[in-house]
Amino acid sequence: MSDLGPRYPTEKPVQPYIQYSYGGYLYGKYNSLFCAGCGYGIIGHLFTRMFEDEKLDPKLYPLIIGVGCYTQIVTLAHYKAQKITTLHGRAPAVATGVKMANPNLKPIVFTGDGDCLGIGGNHFIHICRRNVDCTILIFNNSIYGMTGGQSAPTTLYGAKSTTTPYKVFEERSDAVKLALAAGATYIARTTVAHPRTFLKYFKKALNHKGTSVIEVITPCLTYFGSKNLDNLGAENLGLPGNKMDTGGKMIEWIKRNTIRKNQAKFMDDNELLNRYVIGEFRYDTSKPEYSEVYAKIQKVAMGDD
Amino acid sequence: MSDKDTKRYLPEGKYIMMGNVAMAEGALAAGLNFFGGYPITPSTEVIEHLAKRLPEVGGTCLQMEDELASINAVMGASLAGAKAMTATSGPGLSLMVETISMAANLEIPFVFCDVQRVGPGSHGPVTAPHHNDIGLVRFAGHGEFQVIALAPMNCQELFDLTITAFNFAETYRCPVFILSDAYLGHIHEPVYVPSKEEVIKRVIMRELPQDYSKIYSYKDNDTGAYVIPKPPIIGTDYYPPTALQLPHTTQGLPTSNILSFMEILIEKVKSNIDKISLTEEYRLEDADIVIIAYGLPVRASYRAVDEARDMGIKVGVFRLITVWPFPDEKVREVVENCKAIIIPELNYTGFIAEQVERVKKPETPMTKIPKVGVFHHPDDILNVIKEVSK
Ligand SMILES: Cc1ncc(C[n+]2csc(CCOP(=O)(O)OP(=O)(O)O)c2C)c(N)n1
Ligand code: SF4
Repeated sequence: MSDLGPRYPTEKPVQPYIQYSYGGYLYGKYNSLFCAGCGYGIIGHLFTRMFEDEKLDPKLYPLIIGVGCYTQIVTLAHYKAQKITTLHGRAPAVATGVKMANPNLKPIVFTGDGDCLGIGGNHFIHICRRNVDCTILIFNNSIYGMTGGQSAPTTLYGAKSTTTPYKVFEERSDAVKLALAAGATYIARTTVAHPRTFLKYFKKALNHKGTSVIEVITPCLTYFGSKNLDNLGAENLGLPGNKMDTGGKMIEWIKRNTIRKNQAKFMDDNELLNRYVIGEFRYDTSKPEYSEVYAKIQKVAMGDD
Repeated sequence: MSDKDTKRYLPEGKYIMMGNVAMAEGALAAGLNFFGGYPITPSTEVIEHLAKRLPEVGGTCLQMEDELASINAVMGASLAGAKAMTATSGPGLSLMVETISMAANLEIPFVFCDVQRVGPGSHGPVTAPHHNDIGLVRFAGHGEFQVIALAPMNCQELFDLTITAFNFAETYRCPVFILSDAYLGHIHEPVYVPSKEEVIKRVIMRELPQDYSKIYSYKDNDTGAYVIPKPPIIGTDYYPPTALQLPHTTQGLPTSNILSFMEILIEKVKSNIDKISLTEEYRLEDADIVIIAYGLPVRASYRAVDEARDMGIKVGVFRLITVWPFPDEKVREVVENCKAIIIPELNYTGFIAEQVERVKKPETPMTKIPKVGVFHHPDDILNVIKEVSK
């Protein structure tokens, strides 16, 4: 170490936000149940960072969490945040109830690709349609991590999973297109390899009145990475592909496999097969928010109008 | 007094109300602020009535995308401090059980109106009664917990017992079911609505407690009693520091002692069975023959008993208003010295007959009168009374 000179730290740097995470607050150290190399650690810390830096009032931003590996973000999320873990796929419906019972709150929903687009697809469509004021973060790791690597509605075409041992033969579903069609008013997609962009979008979503959907592409090293090669998304190049057996390689793959929205404009479906288009897809502040519309109905019903 | 309060309580007096409407008005009187539902015959009038009435009192009534969404929104609303309810029938209930068990285990209170119709499936005589969900609600979902189920028998009780149901939900923090049925839901009967002051006196309001240190039910080690704190409210200081998740200690911290967690969920209700178990005795003083009934068949039973008494047969009715938890001790006492038991139920299985079987003496004969889709005529019961009294 010392040969390299004083420019390099000799000790592991301390993550400044650990003390604010729930596990860190309780035990004084990094505490997570994720596999080494999983993207959820990044998301958990980015969330805590946003919560701390923006000094969000925990009593205004309840955290409503679905079921998947990401449920364990509770240990990384800000210790002050009020959290509830709900059932598989039902978080958007719970958020609707919370919001309508107390319109001052702005729920933040954590949900996964299987949770939100598979079992909970219907609730997702309808919360977007209603434009209920809340922020939905969809963590897309292209696989069911929690249950051990089964294919998700988002699993890339031709990829392998434990329930598609030959290959995935279905079209994947696209959270952004679904949200666009369903009527959410702020829609963006980014990845854990772009943490600053994520924070930017997240902040924008928190300040937006209406349903915000941010899809975050994140690596599942243990199940998706170990079963697949990094030529996914580059099928047209006919490369042999390398194993994705470390977190770093998966992040590399995610970076390579994403394409900006303005570049994607010039590409056809074939070129975009299995690639992730990132960017902001809608920002519409004109559509009225659900609880505000309902408040008007209440006024009419009460005869105050 | 604000305008919305005046609208919440109907002026004192007698009204002719449809059963489903009486239930909805009872809920409003009990302080309902949130209703999430999905239309299904024969419960639809509940959501239709509340869609008009709830906004008038500053509450929210949402038609959700399905029953799964309804019950989850109800759970979320209750968590955010609202008195919340949903109404459905058998097929909807089947979809909801996962969330019912989740809410029971998180001790989030809500009231659940089940207007029972002929099952199984989604076709057939859906406007006919069938007390088939009574078995399902007893253990409604995975995990272990104790529910409370009330069985009204007329529109007046649909109003009154809905208030009781909300009070039970607030007090015991468990799912409370009102077991109505297709006939009860749709008949029109006189309902006496007490004055606003009377109603308010009856209702337990949702409020924050004095002491924030205990959030979940626990067993007091000194007295051995089960203590049930007020339900937590998200967006206030009275909320567990961890996620609301399972299984948990009294402070909401994760625990591996699941056995004692299950014990608390069940015993917090069962240990209060004296207060929860509502029953009614009709001409039972010197009865040799005991009819045990709940819900709609009680009406026919009362009539049959009157007629049989005129003939000199000593028969009476023991009526269960609270069906679950089943009052073992009370029923055991009632059937101890009787010569015969008759159980008219609106189902084939005889869910209550099974329970009575458990507590009666083995030698006491028991006759079931099952009916499905049509209700008991008093003569159906009278004939059996005559038969067993021979
Ligand atoms: C009703 C129900 N069905 C199935 C499960 C099992 N289950 C838990 S998590 C999960 C998949 C979650 O996948 P995803 O949302 O993609 O999250 P990830 O684990 O990949 O982070 C499944 C199927 C469940 N908990 N509940
Ligand atoms: S299984 Fe996948 S998603 Fe789950 S913690 Fe491990 S790497 Fe992350």
